[in-house]
Amino acid sequence: MSIINYASREIQFKIVYYGPALCGKTTNLGYIHKRINPENRGDLVSLATASDRTLFFDFLPLNAVVIKGFVTKFQLYTVPGQVIYNATRQLVLRSVDGVIFVADSQWEKMEENVESFKNLEDNLAKQNISIDEIPYVLQYNKRDLENIAPVNYLEYVLNNRKKRVQSFEVVSSTGQNVFASLNAVSQILLHKFSKQSDVSKTAPAPVAIPVEPAARKAGATV
Amino acid sequence: MNAIPCLTIQDVANLDGVLGDFLKKAEAELTVVIDRGGNVISQFGDMTVMDVTIIAALAAGSFAATKELARRIGEIEFNALYHQGNGNHIFMNSVDDDTIMITVFGRQTTVGLVRFYSASAAQNVGALLKSLQTGGHGFSFDASDITAAPVFADG
Repeated sequence: MSIINYASREIQFKIVYYGPALCGKTTNLGYIHKRINPENRGDLVSLATASDRTLFFDFLPLNAVVIKGFVTKFQLYTVPGQVIYNATRQLVLRSVDGVIFVADSQWEKMEENVESFKNLEDNLAKQNISIDEIPYVLQYNKRDLENIAPVNYLEYVLNNRKKRVQSFEVVSSTGQNVFASLNAVSQILLHKFSKQSDVSKTAPAPVAIPVEPAARKAGATV
Repeated sequence: MNAIPCLTIQDVANLDGVLGDFLKKAEAELTVVIDRGGNVISQFGDMTVMDVTIIAALAAGSFAATKELARRIGEIEFNALYHQGNGNHIFMNSVDDDTIMITVFGRQTTVGLVRFYSASAAQNVGALLKSLQTGGHGFSFDASDITAAPVFADG
């Protein structure tokens, strides 16, 4: 949960990158760390194995002046995507304010995407938070690869809820739409706490219409 | 509209009073009160030597990671953790179900002294935070106060 320190005029928000293993969560943070002005960020802390798989979490603190008169501190975390690390994901989700769900666009990863999203819903529910209450956006990552599902299929699979959210076609290795998705969730989050908050007004319409795909490639299951 | 929990200037002064008194008695360098999600609630002492935000995130993780270890020996959690370095050390103790206190200290004091005074400091911090929760003051801002420009710029 965010907190305001009126003496130091600081507000803190926690944003978590969530998604299946090897979907590009850490790559997102690495790109942001590389590209953002060093004056506005701290060190990127990675608790990873020797083969660079996230073991605990990655953490990147960012500062911004986005609310008049306050320094806003955004704390970006990733979760370990591997199924066995669910206890760690629950821990990292504690006090979360916003989520960026990173989906792997490759056909063979579709089942893992769906499982991870369901896992996110379950873990939020354990904190008595509904996915529909929390500011979140979707990233469809790895759009530069060949064996990828079309966006409307990903929308059908992951963004087919009563409340639909913004989604972004992302290539985290080159940075395409990495900042766009971070800025989107930050704005939704900030407006959630404003006196005139109405998230539906601040969230633009989704980018694609959810339709049943005509043909599904072999290997993709939902 | 959702209000953000708010520490007023008086709340911060009250917390600083408790933490300052603790640091003086324990002869430690820095103390930070955090929630279990890793957010910094209050801090006092020499903050120039380290990034408190990162210390808070890692300490919250460290505390939570050992919870499972505690369960294995029949405890709910460890009330306190001590990380011993060659010259600088970290002592962490639980304030309540939502809050942890972290103390960084060097050669000029001992873990025993820090541990002794941190117990009463944690009690006082816990009481102050409880009074904040029951006081129930929150903060929200006008939508016009939020910048329309992108929050973060690429490059």
